[in-house]
Amino acid sequence: MDLKQLCEIHAPSGNEKELRRLLAEEARAALGEENVRTDRMGNLLCSIRGQEAGKPHVCVSAHMDEVGFIVMGATEEGLLRFRPVGGIDPRVIVSKRVLVGEKRLPGVIGAIAIHLQTREDMDRVPDYDHLYIDIGAKNKQEALEQCPPASVACFDAPYTLFGDGFVCAKALDDRVGCYNLLRLMRESYPGDVTLAFVTREEVGLRGSAGAAYALQPEITVNLEGTAANDLGCGETQTQVCAAGAGVAVSFMDNSSIYQRRLYQKMMRLADRNAIAHQVKRGVTAVNDAANYQRAAGGARAITLSVPCRYIHSGASVCCLNDVEAQYALTRAFLQNV
Amino acid sequence: MQTEQFLREVTALPGLSGGEEAVARYIAGAFEPYCDEVRIDALNSVIARIRGRGPKVMLCAHLDEIGMMVAKIEDDGALRMRGIGGVDPRILPGMRVTVHGKERVLGVIGAKAPHLLSPSEREKNYAWDELYIDLGMSAERARETVRVGDCVSLEGGFTELMNGRFATKTADDRSCAAILLRTAELLQRMDTTADLYFVLSSQEEVSGYGAMTAGFGVDPDFCVVLDVTHAKTPGAPELEAFEIDSPTIARGPFIHPYLRQKLEDIAKEQRVAYQCEVVPRDTYTDMDGLETVRGGVPGVLLSLPVRYMHTSVETFDLSALNECARLLAAYCASVSGAWRDELWI
Repeated sequence: MDLKQLCEIHAPSGNEKELRRLLAEEARAALGEENVRTDRMGNLLCSIRGQEAGKPHVCVSAHMDEVGFIVMGATEEGLLRFRPVGGIDPRVIVSKRVLVGEKRLPGVIGAIAIHLQTREDMDRVPDYDHLYIDIGAKNKQEALEQCPPASVACFDAPYTLFGDGFVCAKALDDRVGCYNLLRLMRESYPGDVTLAFVTREEVGLRGSAGAAYALQPEITVNLEGTAANDLGCGETQTQVCAAGAGVAVSFMDNSSIYQRRLYQKMMRLADRNAIAHQVKRGVTAVNDAANYQRAAGGARAITLSVPCRYIHSGASVCCLNDVEAQYALTRAFLQNV
Repeated sequence: MQTEQFLREVTALPGLSGGEEAVARYIAGAFEPYCDEVRIDALNSVIARIRGRGPKVMLCAHLDEIGMMVAKIEDDGALRMRGIGGVDPRILPGMRVTVHGKERVLGVIGAKAPHLLSPSEREKNYAWDELYIDLGMSAERARETVRVGDCVSLEGGFTELMNGRFATKTADDRSCAAILLRTAELLQRMDTTADLYFVLSSQEEVSGYGAMTAGFGVDPDFCVVLDVTHAKTPGAPELEAFEIDSPTIARGPFIHPYLRQKLEDIAKEQRVAYQCEVVPRDTYTDMDGLETVRGGVPGVLLSLPVRYMHTSVETFDLSALNECARLLAAYCASVSGAWRDELWI
């Protein structure tokens, strides 16, 4: 699967089934039935046997799930009440399209027209108690027949190439990671490698907790998409990383302080192999590396991220060269471990 | 042409106020088969005529749409922009837009990431100056591609919901353009004496000058203005929002009482369900400017309720739209010379 196909699949946290099935098909074809398994948390674990003895077991992990929405109920007029699954700023969903449920019923998220807003409405961020998905249902009963509570919805957003090597799509976080895991699957490495496609990162790093315990790898490279905040702000000190400037290597984020030696090794490897890279300067976000670092007796971990603008929206943006750099650096690491 | 097909095509065309050429050409072409003459005037309004003895009736819906204009290109390549017409900045974060530069390019509207905002910033909507368009280009390339003053149109998308409802950008007022087109089509099979001018006016979203200048040229006896009104949504004021499934007929000082009574009578006769919309003063449609053109153009205002007006997901009911056309065609067929004489009796 290419990045476009991966982004267009619907897999909000807890609903990774379709994506897992497609990834498993591809993994079985590449590695053989016996090297692909699904664990008790729904993670897809793919093993590649190392060619030399005495090398550490490395896990490369990416999460399958994406942020989305979940139906809670409906109003008398037939509008769906909902909540986000994962962190979605309500400011990015007004006047946007979604697809609800397995039937992918089209819906829109509107808001009160500008003509009818009070001064307060104009300032106040519309919260999830005042936003609705309109599927065109005429009343509550019809709405809930079509979309019963717990139906999930995703942004209805195409994958579009634009500008100079950039892409705009939903779910770049973390289909970029999934995409690179699929590419890493096509090679063999000196040491044992497990490629882990994990579930439910966006709702509190749930899936990776199981994978980390089950695998207990010596080193984990976590492939992520992370917020960039590199444009339109004027001030550079709030930039986390910059889209187009290479793979972002983390020394620390809100859930892990990474092992210094591993961080330095990544930076050196990138330098030596002329792989575009940058330090993730801002200490932001939490990710699965935390679980891999602290499962059982603990292990070394590092996160390599593709900088994503407008992450967790239907129009997240990344630079394809950065996706390439994430792949190149991970591959170089696996070959030099 | 099928109404749905027309809507799908016409809502996809850009037509920002003052730059309506593309949509005007398309609409002129759509009216061609049903009209005796079709022209585009100096301000980009389309005027399509079905000849008759009289009286002269002008049916008016606007073809322009809200959008934006590039105001500045920052040194990091981000574009600052300003609204054309009443664009609600709340709809912009995470929206795709088309920037009409040297070539048409996709842009994405960005803002500072939420986790980097202070708690008080997080409680407020983004202001225009905090938003920007990301072209995925360096400043140098952005400056080669785009200039200050270039137009920016909102993302398209024509989405069919349940129950014959549709969500699209520019339902305001292309849905009413579709009503006029359907009316012209229905009139092919009806007897009329009126001299009918279908006017698709420019610049409504910024003024109403298109309808005023077209009205001067046509010099009609009466007018029927079609525009969208607010359909009910949670939080909308009760008196200013209506059921989505039937048109509204306006009453108020800007609306001619005799012509309005005729419209209501014909609606009842034709069994077209309608709602009464009370408008105590300005209607904020082409009616306001058109009514005082030349010696005055008395008229009525027929509206299609639309949810989420001035967003890219304006939602309407296709059967209400078709009912508007049925009512309007019957109204046009009923117009007679006697109406002119009875206006103020």
